[in-house]
Amino acid sequence: MHELSICQSMLRVVDGAMKAHEGSKLLRIFADVGRGSTVEPQLLREAFDVLVTGGPYEGAELVINDIPLAGRCRSCGRAFEYREIALGCPACGSASVDIESGLELSVRELEIDD
Amino acid sequence: MAKVSVQERIQSENERVAAQNRAAFAKAGALVLNLVSSPGSGKTTLLEATLDRLPAAGLRSLVIEGDVSTERDLDRVKARGGDGVQINTGGGCHLSAQMVADVLGRLDLASADVVFIENVGNLICPSTYDLGEDAKVVLLAVTEGDDKPMKYPAVFHESSLAVLNKIDLLPHLAYDIAKAEREVAVLNPRCEILRLSALKGDGMDRWISWITARLAAKRGA
Repeated sequence: MHELSICQSMLRVVDGAMKAHEGSKLLRIFADVGRGSTVEPQLLREAFDVLVTGGPYEGAELVINDIPLAGRCRSCGRAFEYREIALGCPACGSASVDIESGLELSVRELEIDD
Repeated sequence: MAKVSVQERIQSENERVAAQNRAAFAKAGALVLNLVSSPGSGKTTLLEATLDRLPAAGLRSLVIEGDVSTERDLDRVKARGGDGVQINTGGGCHLSAQMVADVLGRLDLASADVVFIENVGNLICPSTYDLGEDAKVVLLAVTEGDDKPMKYPAVFHESSLAVLNKIDLLPHLAYDIAKAEREVAVLNPRCEILRLSALKGDGMDRWISWITARLAAKRGA
């Protein structure tokens, strides 16, 4: 259940970004969470609900952009979506695959009421 | 209503502290190995067996022990003549770069060739946290399922070496070691694999050789 500490880190990023907008109300956090990032969106939401209760961000909404894990085979060049990190190429069997998306774990944007 | 662009990685603070740790380890010329596994796969037993053998290889070591609670593992390290510090996470399922940074002042890094960080027993959470180590080493005991690599892919993707421990028990188990190795190879072709028994000593020479070679590579020897 590392989503709790991931969420604490996320809120520190939010704190940093909110500093320049002091006095405004945080409405929404848009976060990118890749399917290969080891973070479970539902657990991140639950951690978020616990951590913002009673604080300055209470009532804010966490919007998670769920990013598929996608890669391209270095041998045959074909692109695929994966269920797990770094599986081999389903077409030619090569183990050499570049992950092109799905490892993201970042705060993209905030929506504030100023 | 206004939009504020952030575009910052959630782990950026951990990455910043990990980079500081890495610089401190590099300055001391010490190789740092982050040992990760599920509980009970034999990390501390591997450390004990390693501490018994490192002096003969001319290597000095320090251990950073991570556990939810107790100093039992550090006591075991000290009983073998080792030295180090204990970090108690108090419920946390992994070490963070900051937790390691907080104890660095209590370690005489300059006196060490190798620093072992024994992470909290957990195959999921530690894979997301860079501590400033040179390599993650994942342990997998043959008493666990042989399909574990595919079930916990992220940690194998992040690791430089997979140690398959407790091989002395293979005659008593229905464990397909070749299958486990195939799964590791498919998940991460760059991950080396070592079969050993920390308790009985099989494979320990190759483990010590692996450490020695990594240290030499780090020091540019």
